[in-house]
Amino acid sequence: MFSFVVKRVGFLKDIPLFAIIFDSLMRFWMFLTKPELLDWIDDLEENVTRMHGTTIGIHKYGGTEFNYMGREFAHVHSNGLLDILLNTELKNSLMTEGKIKDHHVFKNSGWISFYLQNKQDVGYACYLLHKAYDRIKQKQDSMQLSPFVCRLQSGV
Amino acid sequence: MSLKTTLFKVLNSKIFQGILIANIFAFLIIGIQSSLAPEDTGILVFSEFVIIPMLMGIITAWFLKDMEIRGKQITGYSILNGLIAILMSFFFLGEGFICLLIVSPLIFGFIISGAFIGRAMFKKRNQKLNISIVSLLVGIFIVDSLSDHHHENMVSDELLIHASPEEVWKHVVAFDPISQKENYWLFKIGMPSPMATTVSEHRLGANRKCIFSNGYIFDEKIVKFDINKNLIFDIVDQPKDPEIMGHIDIKRGEFILKDNGNGTTTLIGNSWYKLHVFPTWYYDLWAESITRNVHFRVMEHIKLLSER
Repeated sequence: MFSFVVKRVGFLKDIPLFAIIFDSLMRFWMFLTKPELLDWIDDLEENVTRMHGTTIGIHKYGGTEFNYMGREFAHVHSNGLLDILLNTELKNSLMTEGKIKDHHVFKNSGWISFYLQNKQDVGYACYLLHKAYDRIKQKQDSMQLSPFVCRLQSGV
Repeated sequence: MSLKTTLFKVLNSKIFQGILIANIFAFLIIGIQSSLAPEDTGILVFSEFVIIPMLMGIITAWFLKDMEIRGKQITGYSILNGLIAILMSFFFLGEGFICLLIVSPLIFGFIISGAFIGRAMFKKRNQKLNISIVSLLVGIFIVDSLSDHHHENMVSDELLIHASPEEVWKHVVAFDPISQKENYWLFKIGMPSPMATTVSEHRLGANRKCIFSNGYIFDEKIVKFDINKNLIFDIVDQPKDPEIMGHIDIKRGEFILKDNGNGTTTLIGNSWYKLHVFPTWYYDLWAESITRNVHFRVMEHIKLLSER
């Protein structure tokens, strides 16, 4: 159903609120049919909020967004589809483990998709989120440091 | 724990207060809006199904803002919130079961979205942003309530019948009761479906009656009677049924018989309707689906009788 909507009527995602409402309806459906999935999503949220400098918000295409210093590094849709931003090298090495897939829309990017299907998947999802967090933290911190380093190198 | 203590605890709980205030707010707004409407048009606007549920979610989220509450619980409370609103609509606004079933995805979708938007808003503790969002929603509500709402649509379907137009015509003007089983899920769960049609005379200006499965009768008047070719009838009176019928007016129906010249006839059924519920992007999907299934139930029956 999710794949069908993304493929066939994905263009509607740019209508304000459309994707958020669709995600809310998925959340409603999951609450009735697979309530434990919402627990796993909550576990992920709690795990991320324990990481320093993170915030959670609403993803523009529906779901919960995970940010570090205001920059998104992952989001989870209410059907348990976790999308995580890694880099291509990390993505390729993790792909060999066979648990993750290319992002369901952006195939040739650093984004990956991972479906939460059972309780055990939460642990692996947290592992992936930590990888993404470490990567974005390192990147953001180096970006904040770089003007200082430049100034030191140029002797200003 | 005594009943009194339990009751006191429930009344003082933020969750209960959030759900209660959200529902009181919704019914107050709908009440004020109906009383300020210049005439009782029966129109239910977009904001009543979109903005109000979203504000209900935001109100509930405001009551829960200082509680450590998980997403699953927010979803559960939002569903409870929506269920109470739907039950109150059933008891106090006299809405029917099928009508509420149709409206429920909108209610639940927007209440849940409102609750999560509210959670994100109140976490940021940015009063300017919060006031802007709520003001925007209230602004849309006011503009929408004061705007004219008018939507008419036509649904057309066709069916190939292996019989001559003369044979088909005999069963178009009036037909014996339909005995086939319902195959549309809304008809199966109780929505009235067409059962039979009677006519006072076979001529222009004659009265026609379309009888539905629950006994409701649509009174029609034949306004075009082109034998073996075209029948048009205006609906002059229809029952105000809480199950959808109060929210849609069927205005006109038409049958066109096209002779294919090979012993077959293409039967075209057209219906014109006016919607009293908005947003049309949602309700038109339902109205078209229902009208289409009414068409096919009648046209399949005409096919069966004609090919016999």
